[in-house]
Amino acid sequence: MAFAVPCVKYCYLVIIVKKLLKFFKGYGKESILGPLFKLFEATLELIVPLIIASVIDKGIDGGDKTHIINMCLLLVLLGVVGLGFSVTAQFFAAKASVGFITKTKAALFSHIQTLSYSDIDELGTSGLITRLTSDATRVQTGVNLTLRLLLRSPFVVFGAMIMAFTIDASAGADFAVVIPLLSIVVFGIMLISMPLHKKTQTMVDTLLRKTRENLSGVRVVRAFGKEEDEVRDYVSINGELTRGHRHVGAISALMNPLTYIIINFGILALIYVGALKVDSGNLTQGEVIALYNYMSQILIELIKMSNLIITITKALASASRISAVLDTKTSQTFGEREEQGNGEYSVELSGAALKYRRAAENSVEGVSFKAKRGDVVGIIGGTGSGKSSLVSLIPRFYDATEGEVKLFGHNATEYTKGALEKMIGVVPQGAVLFAGTIRENMQFGNKSASDEEINEALRAAQALGVAEDKGGLDARVEAGGKNFSGGQRQRLTIARALVKKPQILILDDSASALDFATDAALRRALREMDGETTLFVVSQRAASVMHADTIIVLDDGQVVGQGRHDELLDSCPVYREIFDSQFKKEDVR
Amino acid sequence: MKNNKTIAKVLSYIGRYKLLLPISILLAALSVALTLYVPILIGNAIDLIVGKDMVDFPGIISNLAFAAILIAITALTQWIMSTVNNKIAFNVTRDIRNEAFGKLHRLPLGYIDTHAHGDIVNRIINDSERFSEGLLLGFTQVFTGVLTIVGTMAFMISISWQIALVVLLLTPLSIFIARFIGKRTFNMFRLRSETEAEQTSIVSEMVGNQKIVRAFGREADVSAKFDEIGDRLEKCTLKAIFFSSLTNPTTRFVNNIVYAAVALVGAIAVMEMQSDAAVMLTVGEFAVLLSYTNQYTKPFNEIYGVYAEFQNALASAGRIFELIEEDEILPLANEAELSDVSGQVEMSNVSFSYSKEKSLIEGLSLSVESGMKVAIVGPTGCGKTTLINLLMRFYDVDSGKITVDGKDILTLTRKSLRGSYGMVLQDTWIFSGTVKENIAFAKPDSSDEEIIAAAKAAHAHGFIKRLENGYDTLIGESGTSLSQGQAQLISIARVMLSLPPMLILDEATSSIDTRTEMKIQDAFSEMTEGRTSFIVAHRLSTIREADIILVMNDGKIVETGNHVSLLERGGFYANLYNSQFAH
Repeated sequence: MAFAVPCVKYCYLVIIVKKLLKFFKGYGKESILGPLFKLFEATLELIVPLIIASVIDKGIDGGDKTHIINMCLLLVLLGVVGLGFSVTAQFFAAKASVGFITKTKAALFSHIQTLSYSDIDELGTSGLITRLTSDATRVQTGVNLTLRLLLRSPFVVFGAMIMAFTIDASAGADFAVVIPLLSIVVFGIMLISMPLHKKTQTMVDTLLRKTRENLSGVRVVRAFGKEEDEVRDYVSINGELTRGHRHVGAISALMNPLTYIIINFGILALIYVGALKVDSGNLTQGEVIALYNYMSQILIELIKMSNLIITITKALASASRISAVLDTKTSQTFGEREEQGNGEYSVELSGAALKYRRAAENSVEGVSFKAKRGDVVGIIGGTGSGKSSLVSLIPRFYDATEGEVKLFGHNATEYTKGALEKMIGVVPQGAVLFAGTIRENMQFGNKSASDEEINEALRAAQALGVAEDKGGLDARVEAGGKNFSGGQRQRLTIARALVKKPQILILDDSASALDFATDAALRRALREMDGETTLFVVSQRAASVMHADTIIVLDDGQVVGQGRHDELLDSCPVYREIFDSQFKKEDVR
Repeated sequence: MKNNKTIAKVLSYIGRYKLLLPISILLAALSVALTLYVPILIGNAIDLIVGKDMVDFPGIISNLAFAAILIAITALTQWIMSTVNNKIAFNVTRDIRNEAFGKLHRLPLGYIDTHAHGDIVNRIINDSERFSEGLLLGFTQVFTGVLTIVGTMAFMISISWQIALVVLLLTPLSIFIARFIGKRTFNMFRLRSETEAEQTSIVSEMVGNQKIVRAFGREADVSAKFDEIGDRLEKCTLKAIFFSSLTNPTTRFVNNIVYAAVALVGAIAVMEMQSDAAVMLTVGEFAVLLSYTNQYTKPFNEIYGVYAEFQNALASAGRIFELIEEDEILPLANEAELSDVSGQVEMSNVSFSYSKEKSLIEGLSLSVESGMKVAIVGPTGCGKTTLINLLMRFYDVDSGKITVDGKDILTLTRKSLRGSYGMVLQDTWIFSGTVKENIAFAKPDSSDEEIIAAAKAAHAHGFIKRLENGYDTLIGESGTSLSQGQAQLISIARVMLSLPPMLILDEATSSIDTRTEMKIQDAFSEMTEGRTSFIVAHRLSTIREADIILVMNDGKIVETGNHVSLLERGGFYANLYNSQFAH
């Protein structure tokens, strides 16, 4: 009964993973030849006990020294041929497994590139990275070992039994009892302990997290005087973990003694049966020794197999995680429209709302506005008021869950993905740069941008000085832009979006690290740049939006005000509070 | 030398399980002896099976029966041995982990601030495990391995020194081959891990910023780059894996040759024994010899593998002991409890620095009446946060004195001193658990109403309500991630719930939007009413309401006074204020 659950799970995993089989394409020959050569090698191993039997019966008992020498030379020959076979097998297995995983990873990586924001949220960035790294490595190891050993071990075990039967039927029967018993013990212990191992692993993770948290929060823990409680917590989790370890340990500790007993009692039975047969003249002494040797062979192979199954199970679990990502069809489809429409309004939202997958409530709702070419739309509100959610509807990072988003007179869903990208430039929060040069970063949205175009964008974004200070467009950018300050990164990311020359530009709280003077200069430059671009400015600062043509005031996901600065000061209490909080009392640092 | 010291310390840990270790060793010896002896009995039985009508049944049965008893005993011995070993290994790991973690909260903050957290975590979690597995299990494996080798060799020599010599000379060959291949493939594996690291960095950079990649439509280019590295990785992985996987076939080949050699020498010896009795070898012994030969390399490989692990384990043990033996904060003999705090705080001539080379705070004096609001302003690095470290006794003063209600804080228990302050820091801390648990950190027995009231006071109720499971939503590392601002609101709610007599707010609202901040300020004002509070801030609204403003620069208080008087003075504060206001 205990086996039923893991077995069902196992089959389920195998079915999932079947989808990955297509990545073996091109390595079919290797995937077959690898195991095949392993089988050849195993066959040679099964012949050895027969040769020894012949040495004893014909050589020793028959007093034939030449026969002994010939047989031993044959053993050497088998060794040489076996070496050849197994080296060939290792090569094919390595080639197939490495090729397979390279293809799988490439497919996975490019599949991730097609996922929508909602899909990425759901799968989680770190989860995706794990699948491409440690999961992939585990699958590769699993495939490699499978090709090498999965056929070999059962072949040796059953081969030994068949050989025993050919020598003597009743001796074979002994094998037929021992092998199932051994399998039950070996695989049973493995199946029972595997989920337990998993459980202890999650406890180790808890312990790890607890330690990390206590380090990062050491001031808070000490400030509240909670040191002893934390230690007590830790000791109790640790105690539980130790009990878990010992529980698994107790089960695994049965493996050696049980297999030892089974195999040795099998040998005792074999010797006794053999003695009876020899006495009646149906078996020779050499054959008894051959049977004894076969019995010794099967245990090693069964243990190898159980270890292999652990590796394979881990690989299957990883493979199913990879497979799940590959199966996530992107939740977005795009239209056919390549050309930007010529409607009067560049952006038009009517009754738009966004509810994130798995969120309890709408993050933003009831948004309606129209913006013409050249308009500046300001969006203001506190932390978590739904500002970013609102603007993420425009480039279809997320699709509106209610209402409609129109761009140049056409529903946003009518456009192709490329058309949307061309039309809309976004400067997201967080100002991320990529490893490479400044030029490469600037060309991120437009590969063919000339240095002139780049410099123009840098100038508008107040980032020309930044680039010059670092040594021009060829200056190195470290991963994440670590060698730039927050303000410098923000200006560069703004320039990166400007290089695209988008019709609609969205600055999502992307000037927060700039000082007021730079912020003002930036806004002036953006206004002067291109009369056609519709500009969205998302900010917590009233100063950043107060000159906009329309300001949308958000509070808790609701639009609580919409209009020009002076109108809102009169009509919208939230706006006035924001304005007052920033203008009446200025910062002192 | 250093290793010996470490081993001595290790033994002191095992010493707690004094009886178990000798039992384990004894059982290991017994089990090895029995495992080697059983085949001999079987060999004897085989010798009694000579041919048709030449089988000595009584002899066979007595041999087999004896073997059966020994087999049962061996199994039992093995089982007890593993159980004992498990107990030692897991308990020692547990003890060391508990000790190391407990140590964490007895270490001065200076240690934690100056050591990489990843490194400390590694010592507590991974090193402890590697240590117990490598040292303890490694030890028993080496022990049984050596015994097996010695036993087998003795047996072989006793039968035929020629065969023993063959085995002795040829077997090490397979170990040499394994080492040779290991060394040769080392560079291949290094190239592979370098290429792999290259790919991983692409993955974490691009997938980590997948949304930006998509926003700019760079999917195809990024994939192309990934595939290019993928191709290189494929080539070097294939090479590394293939060449390293040659170890098994080649060592097996050597073993096969040894086997053939033993078969040759043995068979001829058996044959000649029948004519001249110089070499005593029976057919049964011959069979046993062959099965020994088959397994003879196993203990060698085990010992070789364990040796490397043993070195790692020693290094791990050294690292843990380093942590465990760090100097601790030692409480004074008779520290007093601080209670019924009125909140009068006095600093007289306080000096402090983190390192001897660079002095930070020098000769700082300050007197705060109970209930006063103290604002601390000054440029980055001027010592604002250090002042808080001293007030909370996260660090102790080098010279001078700090008193609370007239009592020198060095004579008070840290716990009661810290308990008198409510603290909100700029760097917020959220642990894995529900929102509720995080708010109720200081008072786990708070009612839901109290928790919600605190959250409302901190203006956190609105966003908490919208989380997937409200107050029961899991947050922190393993749950929903919060924005900096939201995390700050939770930290504020935490303090709102416990309301100690004094407050420390270190840029407590730096990540919160100005409007929400204004509202929280109202709550803070209520909270600070009648409570001595120290507020590090840069927003004027907060500073203006303070009773005293301490203007700090380079570790010294350069000016004190209230907003108006400081502006009038036209000094450092006025400059600071005007430079900000000029925009």
